[in-house]
Amino acid sequence: MNDNYILFTVAGTSYALPSQAVAHVEMVEQVTRVPDAPPYVDGVVFSRGQVVPAINLRARFGFERVPLDVASRLLVVSSQGRSVGLLVDACREFLPLPPAAIHPPGDALAGVSAQYIDGVASVGERLIVVLGLERLLGTTAHAAGA
Amino acid sequence: MTDFLDTFINDYFAEAEEHLSVIRRDLLALEKNVGQPSLDAALIEELFRSFHSLKGVAGMVDHRETEAMAHELEQALRAIRVGDSILTLTGVDALMKGASVLEDTIAARRGEQPPRDPAGAIAELHAAFTGNDNVAPPAAAPASAANWLCTFTPSPELVGRGINVDKVRARLRGAGEIVRATPVVTPDGAIAFHFELQGGITAEQVQAWASDGLVLAPIKAREDQTAGPALEPERSGILSSGHFARVDLARLDELMRMIGNLVILRSRLTDSVKRSEVHLPPAEYRAIHENADAIERELRELRDGVMRVRLVPVGDIFRRMPFVVRDLAREAGKSVHVVLSGQDTKIDKFLVERMMDPVLHLVRNSISHGVESTADRRAAGKPEMATVRLSAVASGETVVIDIADDGRGIDAGRVATRARQAGLPVTDGPLDDATILELVSAPGFSTSDTTDRVSGRGFGMNVVRQTLHELGGTIRLHNDPGQGARFTIELPLTLAITAAMIARVGTEMFAVPQAAVREVAEFESEDIRSLQGAEIVEHRGAALPLVRLSSVLGVDTPPAPRLHAFVVGTGSAAVGLLVDRIVAHREIVVRATADPLIRVDAVSGATDLGDGKAILILNATAIARAARERAETARTIA
Repeated sequence: MNDNYILFTVAGTSYALPSQAVAHVEMVEQVTRVPDAPPYVDGVVFSRGQVVPAINLRARFGFERVPLDVASRLLVVSSQGRSVGLLVDACREFLPLPPAAIHPPGDALAGVSAQYIDGVASVGERLIVVLGLERLLGTTAHAAGA
Repeated sequence: MTDFLDTFINDYFAEAEEHLSVIRRDLLALEKNVGQPSLDAALIEELFRSFHSLKGVAGMVDHRETEAMAHELEQALRAIRVGDSILTLTGVDALMKGASVLEDTIAARRGEQPPRDPAGAIAELHAAFTGNDNVAPPAAAPASAANWLCTFTPSPELVGRGINVDKVRARLRGAGEIVRATPVVTPDGAIAFHFELQGGITAEQVQAWASDGLVLAPIKAREDQTAGPALEPERSGILSSGHFARVDLARLDELMRMIGNLVILRSRLTDSVKRSEVHLPPAEYRAIHENADAIERELRELRDGVMRVRLVPVGDIFRRMPFVVRDLAREAGKSVHVVLSGQDTKIDKFLVERMMDPVLHLVRNSISHGVESTADRRAAGKPEMATVRLSAVASGETVVIDIADDGRGIDAGRVATRARQAGLPVTDGPLDDATILELVSAPGFSTSDTTDRVSGRGFGMNVVRQTLHELGGTIRLHNDPGQGARFTIELPLTLAITAAMIARVGTEMFAVPQAAVREVAEFESEDIRSLQGAEIVEHRGAALPLVRLSSVLGVDTPPAPRLHAFVVGTGSAAVGLLVDRIVAHREIVVRATADPLIRVDAVSGATDLGDGKAILILNATAIARAARERAETARTIA
């Protein structure tokens, strides 16, 4: 088991996903809107010849959307045969997090994102929220079907 | 030397396979030539040359038995060519048998088995083409179904006289069978329709119809074969057969990925170039900028080129079927005629490969279970020769494959009995088509009372269903006891190139597959009227309901004096989809939008116009259907 994580920020909070779940990270210029898609789906983008939905994590976690800028990134993640893009504010770190460094989320973390959280890691001064990808995408897929 | 030989022998097998594929196709076409007053000389020539070339290459690798068999076939063709021998069905049978032995000799060598001895087949062929029993007087040509290409160009004047596409279609159906119908855009931008018709048309009809905007032209005899249109793309065969390369699909995927990376790097390059503008002398900047643009263009062509390598005509799914049908029918002592129709819309080779076995199984089932014996057919008042129809059509959204026979259909009672025996839950009462399909697709189900050679080869209906499921497709059954059964397979297109109209609404661009568009029309904004909350416009003497794509797409668009519309559907089902402007008509690469998050009715896929930005491919038919349903609901409530 490798303990490497990709770190990214959404609305001022640092989040982490296991690096093996992330296929690649891209700059993102434009997302094409898809009518009737769930509200947190900005649309579709082309990623390496594939059409992937772009989930806006700000919208997903209940924050206000901001316009894309030079720091915005699309994390293309793979889970259960699906490829899905996650729009984040910035993504520029790669960090090993040993299992011992990840604690169960405390009551301090509430809000919409709480349901997708696997744990919390503290690295120095910073708190990093470790996301559970299956739950994040599983819930979204379910919500889309509803 | 050994290495050289190894490489050489692989090239030989590849080349032999290409000759064989030309031979298979041409022999089937030749069969249709039997009894015609004159033979298709080009076809005979191509066959002759295929056998001749195969003989030559077999000699080079010292496969004497293949060489001898090819030689005998070549001689037979020579006899036909110079007119020493007149082609009869027996003759074609002998040629087919010979070709099949030829194939066996090559397959044996490839499988490193002991060489086959073709002596028997050679002797038979020899007898058939030098003996007298094959020489028949030129038969009185049977009333053969002539093939016609009918072009209909609608015009307001014609519509005024009540002549529209539906009328024309009905009229053509009265005269024969419409094999294919394609809307085309004429050079002046109007829409016309091509109908390919199989049937007898008199000179009087040609004249009478000409005044109704219907132009008929006979299609050349070469194409007068049911397997024609779909299989045409393989035709380059003989001249270029030595220049084919076989490519592993995985390698193409690898290439595609590398190109994808290049596209990303190119877009970064463009960004850096833009940022460096302020730091560079204008001339320097312009040079860099132009080169970056040139790279982009080349890259787009490279990408399309690689993409196209993977694509084959959808009709290729049936490539081998006529042969299979022929063999199966002969074994079962039945008489079966196979009619193929398919388009040359190109789809991913992967899909074609995966569909071969399911289609093969359905065809086998048709012949072993569906088609009756000749005696039974006669007793039932049916033509002795059964017909199996295979058709494949790819539109922007799906591939639809139909396998239909005019046999006895499926005996629901027998299916129920069998299913109970196999321990499957069966409800009492009559079974509907969906239930029948469900039962026969259950693992372990077989209706064959005795295990015959034709069916029961370990690829049951459950595997057909499984394969379709994996590809995201569906299968439907239409059972007509006593009259036949039809299986309809529908598959989503994962990758395809199709003709589409590109249009703009506000700032958004999108594509609509041309197959869905019946007509492109232009309206003045002031002519659009509101009626019970719906917008309509008078078009061709009828009220055409309109749908603003801006509201479907959720984009703002400023009011414009003139609007364009795609007219979708015919007659009372017609709906006009309003756009700001139609930008282009071009081929697009269709990519599926398969993820549940973006699977919506209005969208059938996405494409890009070469700049890496996704544009949506709209499912015009679904949008029009939804609009009609809304209108009907509104009417019901009102």
